[in-house]
Amino acid sequence: MGPASISAAASAPPRAPPGFALSLALLIAFAALALLSGWAGDYVLELGFRLLVLMTLAEAWNLLAGYGGLVSLGTASFVGLGAYALVGAMNRGVPLALAWAAAGIAAALLALLVSRAVFRLRGLYFTVGTLALAEALRLFMVNYQPFGGAIGLFLSPDAPSLRGLFLLALGLFAVATLLMQLATDSRYSILLRAVRDDEDAAAQIGVRPFRIKLLAFVVASLLMGLAGALQGLKLGAVEPYGMFGLQWTVNVLAIVVIGGQGQRLAALIGALFVVSLGEVLAAYPALHLAITGVILILVIRFAPQGLAGWVVLLWRRLHHGSQR
Amino acid sequence: MSAAPREAAGPLLSVSGLSKHYGGVRAIDELAFSLPRGAVLGIIGPNGAGKSTLIGLLGGALRASAGTIQFDGADVTREPAAERARLGIGRTYQIPRPFLELSVRENLLAGQYALQPLIARRQAIAASDAILERCGLADVADLPARALPLLRRKRLELARALALRPRLLLLDEVGAGLVDSEVGELITLIQALAGELEGLIIIEHVLRVVRECCAQLMVVNFGRKLAEGATHEVLASEQVAAVYLGTAHAGAVTGAAAPAAGTLGGLVAAGPEPAVANAAPLLELRGLHAGYGLARVLNGVNLTVHAGQAVAILGTNGAGKSTLAGVISGLIRPSAGELRIDGVDRTGTAPHLIARLGFAQCMEGRRIFAPLSVEENLLLAAGRVGRSERQQRLDQVYQLFPVLRERRTQGGTSMSGGQQQMLAIARALMSRPRLIVFDEISLGLAPLVMDQLYAALAALRAAGLTLLIVEQDVQRALDLADEVHVMEHGRIALSGTAAQVRENPVLRHLYIGTAD
Repeated sequence: MGPASISAAASAPPRAPPGFALSLALLIAFAALALLSGWAGDYVLELGFRLLVLMTLAEAWNLLAGYGGLVSLGTASFVGLGAYALVGAMNRGVPLALAWAAAGIAAALLALLVSRAVFRLRGLYFTVGTLALAEALRLFMVNYQPFGGAIGLFLSPDAPSLRGLFLLALGLFAVATLLMQLATDSRYSILLRAVRDDEDAAAQIGVRPFRIKLLAFVVASLLMGLAGALQGLKLGAVEPYGMFGLQWTVNVLAIVVIGGQGQRLAALIGALFVVSLGEVLAAYPALHLAITGVILILVIRFAPQGLAGWVVLLWRRLHHGSQR
Repeated sequence: MSAAPREAAGPLLSVSGLSKHYGGVRAIDELAFSLPRGAVLGIIGPNGAGKSTLIGLLGGALRASAGTIQFDGADVTREPAAERARLGIGRTYQIPRPFLELSVRENLLAGQYALQPLIARRQAIAASDAILERCGLADVADLPARALPLLRRKRLELARALALRPRLLLLDEVGAGLVDSEVGELITLIQALAGELEGLIIIEHVLRVVRECCAQLMVVNFGRKLAEGATHEVLASEQVAAVYLGTAHAGAVTGAAAPAAGTLGGLVAAGPEPAVANAAPLLELRGLHAGYGLARVLNGVNLTVHAGQAVAILGTNGAGKSTLAGVISGLIRPSAGELRIDGVDRTGTAPHLIARLGFAQCMEGRRIFAPLSVEENLLLAAGRVGRSERQQRLDQVYQLFPVLRERRTQGGTSMSGGQQQMLAIARALMSRPRLIVFDEISLGLAPLVMDQLYAALAALRAAGLTLLIVEQDVQRALDLADEVHVMEHGRIALSGTAAQVRENPVLRHLYIGTAD
């Protein structure tokens, strides 16, 4: 097979753009923004906080759905649990740092607890299973009085300032970026994508699909719990309809699908796009929803690799103009 | 390698009372055999005999209904697939299942990282590349597996199983679809592997592989062991000839003759028409060029097929045969040249419209709709015709392939490889076509079934169907075809009647290769 290998160099696909570097650049830009305190007014911090929380959630969901093929509709469960855990812990006098960590761990434990059940299901059934979990948990929270029932819980201690919240969100996104870097550009990512492409075939070469999926599920849930906790901290009150609501799930799904499932830049590009769109159309909430829906359909139909797919294509054109 | 430090030398693999039932169907029934250390065991049997099920049971993809499997002295019957792989049982899939979105190299790295999470990256890559080199995939290491055509995916199956560094390797029809020279390469590879691994089990219809690689042979039929022994003795036995080898090999008369042409007449759109001297040819290709991106595959193909002819296209893998089939079906748009049907230019016509002109395909790799049952697969191809008409066509294809009637409610891809091939052919017939393009239909079929299939094709031709056969099995294609074209480097290098081509030394050189 000697002579055939001449073409190897020519056919090697060009490297993807450095998603990690871009994430870092964005992080630094955000940090600079926070430091320029005079210029960055409340609006900018508010917007930045929302963007960072959504980007973290989107990174987590992309790890699950994009890299792991685990299309979960259970995002809200972990967001909600994180928020409740943080508020509950802080109300009992636990310091913020510990309460925040506990919120993440609670979400990760929930993932661990339900993994046996939901991983028995595959593909669409897994998706439906996670949706059922989210709805069941929401109904439970609405009806369970010790957690405040439908009214929810109020945060007694003072929450940090908006700037403090923004910095916390920035730190969280930094952690998410680092975890995603570890999970998507490593030998683990090869195993995860192998399980996504064909779970049975992966088992036949010695990959233990359950463990591989579980790790992704637990890491993603941890991030979701931490993000949910921040949201709860910012609101100062958590109630089941909001924190366990389907809109978390749907927003995050929209961001990643528009951004490009399984693309390293999906969370960044998708969140920037969706949040900007929300700001532009802030005065027309109904129109906003309709337009997001239309864009989702267009992206699924014409750009299955999402906006990030286009960016990658553009990058390759620029850096490998000779390719064609 | 065979120096076993373990407790004495019991067999590497020992199977007893192994059964697998699907509802009432006994795919594997009370099977018992053992594989000594360092042995190579061949398994042959008719399509649907349960061979692939056996591989699934040994590899752990399927759970046994009864019986035990002992590997290296330990009972692994209840171990899941991943654990068996980690113990050293590697397997290939008959229909390749690569990780499509991973690069070819990553397909191999997955197994290495699963087993040795802490292996040095450079070492893992070097090991993968060595295996790819060995399997002839070095030039595509960085391409996504999705970009590989069927036969290269089959090589990837083998490469991926080797990346596991298995002690026992189960090969499920890795030789299907190869031309003789490639079969020679495969045999060399398997013989080398036999010296390195502790055991090999080979399921194969390519008898040369069985003959030259396996000292021991087991014949399976209806999930049971029919015969076992030294390969040459088993192949010589009359019983085996009757159920498996068929006429071509043993001279025995097979009971299952193909249906008479009369019963098939209904499956063909137009019977033999009175020949009109100046009628336009059914299919005509003029100066056709096509390719994928920058890769040029067809470089000016001229081909004429008249109604009622059987035309065979031969050529090595990579000569452009399947691309040609794709162009004729409308799936691949030619970059230059003309495709004319009944004298009308149809270049660039969509596949479904070409299908309506009476062209049907039996595509390489079968392409059965997995979520649909056998009968639904068939009905889908019938299109919009009346209920009684549909039933009539169903009856006719069931008559051609009775096993499909038995399995009609079963999932299309749950059948054995050979049965799926029959379904693919039956499906092509359901649209009552004028012309069918058969792309590698003999791939993965037992010799006896191939005999039946070609008898069926001969009957279809007699009934007036035009056949365009893309085939690796030269002998059978030459026996059937009126006219033969041999492709090389995207061109037709040699054309003539079957007799002319058979005598032509160029064919031997081009196609048969240097091996015997």
